[in-house]
Amino acid sequence: MNTVMAQKKKQISMPADSIRWLNGFTVNVDVASLATSTFISNGIYSSEAGIQLDLKHKFFPTLEVGVAGANKVSNDNINFKTNGLFERIGVDFNLRKKKPDSKPTNNLFTAGIRLGMSNFNYNVTNVSITDNYWGGSSIIDYPTQNTTKIWYEFVVGVQVEVIRNLYLGWNIRVRNLLSTDITGEVSPWYIPGYGQNNGSNYGFNYTLGYHFWQQKKIVKKTSVILIQKKEK
Amino acid sequence: MKKYSFIVFVFSLFLIISCASDETCTQTKYVKLTVNFYHPNPLDTIIANRITTLSIDSLTVQGLKKDSSGKYTPVDSILYNNQKNVSTINLPLNNFSTSSIFKIRFNAITDTMTITHSNLNDYLSLECGCIITHTIDSVIMTNHYIDSARIKIHDVNTINAENIRLYNKFK
Repeated sequence: MNTVMAQKKKQISMPADSIRWLNGFTVNVDVASLATSTFISNGIYSSEAGIQLDLKHKFFPTLEVGVAGANKVSNDNINFKTNGLFERIGVDFNLRKKKPDSKPTNNLFTAGIRLGMSNFNYNVTNVSITDNYWGGSSIIDYPTQNTTKIWYEFVVGVQVEVIRNLYLGWNIRVRNLLSTDITGEVSPWYIPGYGQNNGSNYGFNYTLGYHFWQQKKIVKKTSVILIQKKEK
Repeated sequence: MKKYSFIVFVFSLFLIISCASDETCTQTKYVKLTVNFYHPNPLDTIIANRITTLSIDSLTVQGLKKDSSGKYTPVDSILYNNQKNVSTINLPLNNFSTSSIFKIRFNAITDTMTITHSNLNDYLSLECGCIITHTIDSVIMTNHYIDSARIKIHDVNTINAENIRLYNKFK
């Protein structure tokens, strides 16, 4: 009798062993960037989506892609305009430690890293130059500039399963550029996927995700039932 | 409850950060040519004293511009007007011409300095816009008070540097 009880407990408290290496994937859409683009226009728009693999419910290799742009006029009426695609790859690690007596959950508390990249075109127009002493002025345009910027990010976030397979989550990011401006380059004011080109940057995402191909937990349940039958 | 207030706190923090973007130019845009005056004493026994800094009692500097008829006329504003005890001057080079001419009056004697240079657009940022930097090609000097001129650093930009040395006549 006692041994049977022990066996039963052991079966329930060890779901980790039953997790497959590839436990499906989640498709995320960032709602924060959509909302800020709509309500706080400021000439900047951005939207992105991501796909996140679930490996053993511990490692989450992630690919994020998006499109972003800016149309900004400075105080001196200089116009900066860009549109571009960006992509980021990286991995998140689940920081939630499973307590032996806790319910198995799909909620996540993660920390991770990203490597971001964007190759984009931009225009800087209506740059005025004056000579205060000798006199004279001119307007300079820098049309169709092209550059590639690479950066890294540290990400911390949570994802909560609100209804089966549907996740809400948010994450915050710190970004730093790896590539520096080449001397003589007309430096872009805004980098798609990175933000303003003004040193270190912060990012915030509010994600809506759907998990596909979730592992079913039926195997575990049947084994428990079997033991209970034996008990009788 | 504690959890929620923390989330709200972090949220508001990021809103503040995203709003506090700086749109004023913090870089210096002042491009200047620096000219220093020296006095030679080639016969001085101490080597260090053979070239000494020269302080001009009264100095007046004005730019000369070619007008439509091809005549050189002084630019309206005077750069240095009867300035006392001057040993270094900062001058603006012409952004839209490859030569800049200055009429320099040392006490009562006037010399003309003609600088030929190339100009280059240098885009700084959206906030600061563009500046024009110069590279000195040559300096031509009349020899009433000044004996000779020497180019030390050809690049004229926002960095402080001694571009030209002017030596007065040894008496």
